Amino acid sequence: MHQLKFALASAAKILIRNPEDVASATHQLSDTRQLTRTIALFEWLLADSQHSTCSAKINTVMADVREILEINDPTSNESPTVTKEAIIGSNKTKKTSKPQAIAKRPEGMNREVFALLNFEKGQQNVEDMSTTSGGYKQVKAKLGRSRARRWCWAPFSNPARTDGASLHHWRRAADVAKPYAFSKFNIQPKVFTYTPEEYEQYLHDDTGSNWTREETDHLFSLCRTFHLQFVVIYDRFDSARFPNRTMEDLIERYYDIRNRLIKARGLDEKIFIFDAAHEASRKSQLEKLYNRTSEEVKEEEMLMVELKAIEAQRKERVKGQEGLVRLMTANEKKEAKHPPSGRKSAKKKSLKKKGDHNQSSTDTAIIKFPEKSSGVWLRSSRMKLPLSIGQKKTKAVEQFLSEYDLPPAPMPTEEICQAFNDLREKILLLLNLRQLADNCEYEAQTLKHKLEAINRSREVLQLKSDFCHIYVHIRRCRISILKFSIKTL
Amino acid sequence: MSGGVYGGDEVGAIVLDIGNTTVRAGFAGEDTPKADFPSYVGCTTDGNFEDDNAMDTADGPTSVASKRKYYIGYNFLSSPKERMEMISPLKDGMIDDWDLFKELFDHTFANHIRSDPSVHPILMTEPAWNERGKREKLCELMFETYNVPAFYLCKSPVLAGFANGRYTGIILDSGAHHTSAIPIYDGYVLQQGIVKSPLGGDFVTAQCRSYLADKNVEIVPTYLVGSKTPVGKGEPSIYTKRANLPAKITQSYHNYMVKNTLHDFKASVLEVLDSNFHEINAGSIPSMHYEFPDGYNNSYGVDRFKLAEGLFDPSTVKGMDCTNLLGISQLILTSVGICDIDIRPNLYSSVVVTGGNSLLRGFCDRLSRELQNKVPPGLRTKVVSANGSLERRCGAWIGGSILASLGSFQQMWISKQEYDDGGKNCVERKCP
Repeated sequence: MHQLKFALASAAKILIRNPEDVASATHQLSDTRQLTRTIALFEWLLADSQHSTCSAKINTVMADVREILEINDPTSNESPTVTKEAIIGSNKTKKTSKPQAIAKRPEGMNREVFALLNFEKGQQNVEDMSTTSGGYKQVKAKLGRSRARRWCWAPFSNPARTDGASLHHWRRAADVAKPYAFSKFNIQPKVFTYTPEEYEQYLHDDTGSNWTREETDHLFSLCRTFHLQFVVIYDRFDSARFPNRTMEDLIERYYDIRNRLIKARGLDEKIFIFDAAHEASRKSQLEKLYNRTSEEVKEEEMLMVELKAIEAQRKERVKGQEGLVRLMTANEKKEAKHPPSGRKSAKKKSLKKKGDHNQSSTDTAIIKFPEKSSGVWLRSSRMKLPLSIGQKKTKAVEQFLSEYDLPPAPMPTEEICQAFNDLREKILLLLNLRQLADNCEYEAQTLKHKLEAINRSREVLQLKSDFCHIYVHIRRCRISILKFSIKTL
Repeated sequence: MSGGVYGGDEVGAIVLDIGNTTVRAGFAGEDTPKADFPSYVGCTTDGNFEDDNAMDTADGPTSVASKRKYYIGYNFLSSPKERMEMISPLKDGMIDDWDLFKELFDHTFANHIRSDPSVHPILMTEPAWNERGKREKLCELMFETYNVPAFYLCKSPVLAGFANGRYTGIILDSGAHHTSAIPIYDGYVLQQGIVKSPLGGDFVTAQCRSYLADKNVEIVPTYLVGSKTPVGKGEPSIYTKRANLPAKITQSYHNYMVKNTLHDFKASVLEVLDSNFHEINAGSIPSMHYEFPDGYNNSYGVDRFKLAEGLFDPSTVKGMDCTNLLGISQLILTSVGICDIDIRPNLYSSVVVTGGNSLLRGFCDRLSRELQNKVPPGLRTKVVSANGSLERRCGAWIGGSILASLGSFQQMWISKQEYDDGGKNCVERKCP
C-alpha cells in the first residue's frame, strides 16, 4: 500500500511538473481540479482492480495523497467524521459549509504542523478550538461500545457468617442477587469435638499428666479459635487456671484425644502419633545449636575443615591401595593366562576366554603391543615398545635388560618375539611394583614419624590402624616381588 | 469495587488508630489516613470563659461538655488559650480517659470523615497489651453509643506487620511513649513474647532537653516569638515576645509546645551511628546546623550522635540508672528468645520496624547491623521497614486499611446482631 501511495504521489508530482498540464508553479492551486480528476481516475482504477476489502485502505491512502498534495478533500464536508462541532453542536457550522480559500503552507513549515492548523477543513486554529461555547450538557457523549451497567450500594449477607448480619457494598445491579463471592475462602480446619458421654467413656487422661475435663475443654476451644496453630494456642493457654504445660504436652493431648475419638467412632481417618519426648529432645538439641558462641562455631568450622582433609587423605590412600591390589592381581592373572604350556593352546584358551573376560584382560595388560592385522609388516615392529608407556619407563626397561646382559633388540623370530614381549611386560610390572613398594615404605616412614610426634590417643589409633594396613600391604608386595623375581629369573 | 482480582471489597469501613502522638483515621482501602491530628487535646475547664476565636472558625473542633471545652487539631493547638491544659486520652497506649476519647471520636467523624458512625463498620487498633476490661468497654461504647453496624479490634503490631506484607515476624514499634518488640505468628500476637522498654521518642526528646539545658540554651517555642533578629552561631538569641499572649498559659501547654520544638530539633539534627558510639567515628561525620524558633543557632557534631545512642546502648545515658533497661536490638533478642524455638528463624527473617521514632536517621541500619552480630550463628536476619515517613508512622493504620478492605475479612466483624446476642464478651471471642 505504501508503494502504491508513493507511486501515486510521484505520478501526481510529475503531472505538476509537466509544463503541458500546469503552466507554472504559481498556478498549482488553480489546477488542483485537474489533479483531483487524475486522482479520481486512479481511485477508480484501483477500486476496479482490487476488491472492496481493500477499499478502506485505498481511501486512507487517497486521503494521505490528498494531504501531501494539499488538495481539499471533496468528501470531508459531508463525511460523518466526529468533529468538535458535531459534539458540541456549535452554531458556527454554517461557516464550514462556505467554501473557503485554502491557505498556502508557509515555506519551511512542517506539513504535520500545518495540518494541525486545519485550514483546509475550514476550522479555526488550535487556539480557538479550546474555547467552548455550548458546554458539555447539550450532547451526551457516547463512550465505550455497550451501555454503562449500573452499580448500586447494596446490602449483602455473608454465608460465612453465622449471625446473618448484613453490610453494604458496591455491586453491579445485575450481580446483587448473587451469593457473596468471598465466602468461598472461609475454610476451617477440622477440629474434633466430643460429647460429655464420649469424654466419660474414652477420653479420661490415663497417661499421668492429670488433664482434667475443664483443661481439655479449654484446649479444644483454643484449638478452634486459633485453627490448630499450636504456637498461638500455647501462648494463650491459661496458665493461671491450669498447671503449666509445654507445647508438646498440648499437642500430645490433642492428638491423643483425636486418635481415641477416631478409634471409638470407627472413622476412616489417618491416625497421627505425636512423640512428645522426641519433639522435646529435638527442641533442646536445637536450643543447644542456637546457643553456641561464635568461638564455638569457629572451632567447629575449623574441625570440619580438618575432618575433610583427613577424609581426602584417607580416600587417596584407599585409591593407592586399590592400584596396588590391581597390579598384584594383574601379576597373578598374567601367570594364569600364560601357563608354561604351548603357545597355540594358550592362544586358544585366551580366545575362548575373550568372550567373558574381555574387560579384565584389557585391564591387566600392562603393555599394549600394536597388533598388526593387514598389509606388509616387519616382525621386529611387533617388538617395538608403544609410546604410551613413556620415555622414563622405556629407559628403565632397557636399563633392566642391559643389567642382565640381554640384547635390546634380539632376533625377531616368532617365539623370541612373544617371549621378549612377555619378559618386558613382566619387567615393567616388577618396576611398577617396586615403585609402589618404595612409596608405601616412604608413607609408612612418615606415618611412623607422625606417630612418634603426636601423642593424642585418637590419632594414635587412627594412624596405628593405617600403619598396620600399609604394613600388611608392604609385606604382600615384598612377597609377590620375591615370588616374581624367583619365577622370572 | 468488584475486587475479583485484588480480593478487595469495599464496605465503607472506617479505620481508627489512636496513637500516643497522633490520631489516624480514614476509610479502609485508602493508602493513607484522611485525618492525622494530635491526640493531645487542649481543655479549658472554666465555664464562664469565653472564647470567640473557637466558635468562629468553621472547622473548629470545639465542643462543650459540662463546662469543659476541648480544642482538637493542629490549628487550635498552635495558639495558646487562657488556662488551657493539654491532656491525652491514653495511658500506656491504652484508652484511659473515655470522655476525651469520645471527643476525639466525635471530632473525627464530624470534621474529617463527615459522616455518621452508624453507617460505617469501624476497625480500631489497640496495643498488644490492652486489658480485657478496656476492650469490652470500647466494644460497648461503639455499639451502645455510636450504634455502629459492625466493629473490630485488632492489635496494632499485627496490622503493622500486614502493612509490610508479613503475618509472621517480630514487630519493633518505636513510638513516642515506648519501644516494644512484639512477636506475631500467623496474624496473632504472641502475648508472652512482648517486651517493652520506655526508651521511645519521648526519651530521646528528654535527652535533647537535658543536653540543651546543660548548654544553657533556653527553648522558646514558636508561640512565644513575635519577631527575631539574626544572630551569629552560638550567640544568645535576640527576639521579642509576642504581644497579644493570653494571661494564664498553663505549664502543660508550654511543655507541649517545647516538646514539639524539641521534636523538630530531634528530627532535623539527630542521627544514629551504624556501630557503637565512638568519639572518633562520630567526629568524622559532618556536623549539622540548626536554628531554634527564637533565632538561636548552632551546629551540632559529635553530640547529635550521642543523644540518640541511648536507644541502642542505654549504658551510655548520663544521669539515669539504665542498668535494667534493654537496648533496641536487645529487646528483639529477648522477645524472640521467649518464643518457641521452631519459629525463631521465621521471626528473625522478618523484623518489621514501625513507629515514628524509628525515623531517626540511621536507625534501621544500626538495628540490622547489631542484629547480624548478635543473633545466633546460622540464622538469617532481615529488617523490613517502609521507606516513607507517613508509611512508617501510620503502619498500623495502613495495615488496618488493608485488612478491613479485604473481601475475606468481612466475615470477621463483630456485628450488631452478635453484640446484641452475646453482649460485650464477644470481643474476646471474635478478636482474640
